[in-house]
Amino acid sequence: MTCAEFQKALPYIIETGGNAEEEQHLRECPVCSDLVQDLRYIVEQAKLLVPMEEPSPKVWDGIKGSLEREGMIRPSRARGRLLGKKSSLPWIGALGAIILIAFGAFLFQRGRQTQPGAALETIATPPVQAISLETVATEQDDQQLLQQVAARRPGSAPLYESNLTQVNAAIADAKKRLGENPNDEDARQSLMRAYQQKAMLYELAVRAVQ
Amino acid sequence: MPEAEAIERAKKGDPESFEGLYGLHKRRVYSLCLRMTGNTAEAEDLTQEAFLQLYRKIATFRGESAFSTWLHRLAVNVVLMHLRKKGLPEVSLEESLEPQQEDGPKKDIGARDNVLAGSIDRVNLERAIESLPPGYRIIFVLHDIEGYEHNEIAEMMGCSIGNSKSQLHKARMKLRDLLKTSRAEKAVKR
Repeated sequence: MTCAEFQKALPYIIETGGNAEEEQHLRECPVCSDLVQDLRYIVEQAKLLVPMEEPSPKVWDGIKGSLEREGMIRPSRARGRLLGKKSSLPWIGALGAIILIAFGAFLFQRGRQTQPGAALETIATPPVQAISLETVATEQDDQQLLQQVAARRPGSAPLYESNLTQVNAAIADAKKRLGENPNDEDARQSLMRAYQQKAMLYELAVRAVQ
Repeated sequence: MPEAEAIERAKKGDPESFEGLYGLHKRRVYSLCLRMTGNTAEAEDLTQEAFLQLYRKIATFRGESAFSTWLHRLAVNVVLMHLRKKGLPEVSLEESLEPQQEDGPKKDIGARDNVLAGSIDRVNLERAIESLPPGYRIIFVLHDIEGYEHNEIAEMMGCSIGNSKSQLHKARMKLRDLLKTSRAEKAVKR
């Protein structure tokens, strides 16, 4: 089989695998082998593109304005912002994020205590208690996460690292703003969103190395 | 408030629930719109439109699929409608399955190029995706990022499954070229 013949079939076999002749060519041809390796790597990295961008606040303003004009929403009984300080929805999200981060950290802790790498194959199901925001997902946890990813999935490590850097910067910025003004609602919601994103990254990493 | 409760309240016009649902799903919807259009202003307009359509149709949501799946599909349709109105080529319906000139076998004579593994970071990949021609970008985003299958993409785009696979392959090949070029440029600058 020639490279031309193999690459003609490639769009239809890259996910499912080819016939015996195609697989043999893939084993024997370094050019086509490198090509397939690159394409699969791109696909793998694309799956890790966690949504990080946010629309500007004017998007919600536009939605709300249209809904009011269309009479689709009745006036809110809450004073001030629709999502007042007492709304439980953001805090439920934050608690979920804490639990996910704690669970992820727990798995990596088990990995250190038993056989390195092997412990990640066992799923622990003990009850996970919420941990103080100050004690979860420390820099040490991040480094351990990246080490595990680098050991099991070396090609994915740079993307995890850049994602973690970005989300940690968002956490640090929100914490700083809250330190300056504890009543800063935007900073509080930014912090919760950043923790949720970090929890998502940990969850993806745990899945990736299992 | 759990999402299920927020949905039921939104059906009754509760404004806090509307905003709650928006907060839960805005990032994913916006990212989808941004990646498919490559334009911030368009993405924001389409995000707004997707959520408005959601709220208008929310009474019809019966829970047969996950809410996020339902919303996501709605957002994809909003973007595709917008692109059709703009007249952008989504997928060539007359796409030939025969290899074109640019699709010639990549049989490099001489030294093998280094593989990409380990050299891509998020910023480079996002930039490369943004640089893709619109038709390739849409297919790549729908399949490799958003996880739609070829039969679903074919139905959405009005093309054949074979066409969807062919376009996806071209998108990946183009990304490969862009990423290798970017890596080579970085190496020169050092």
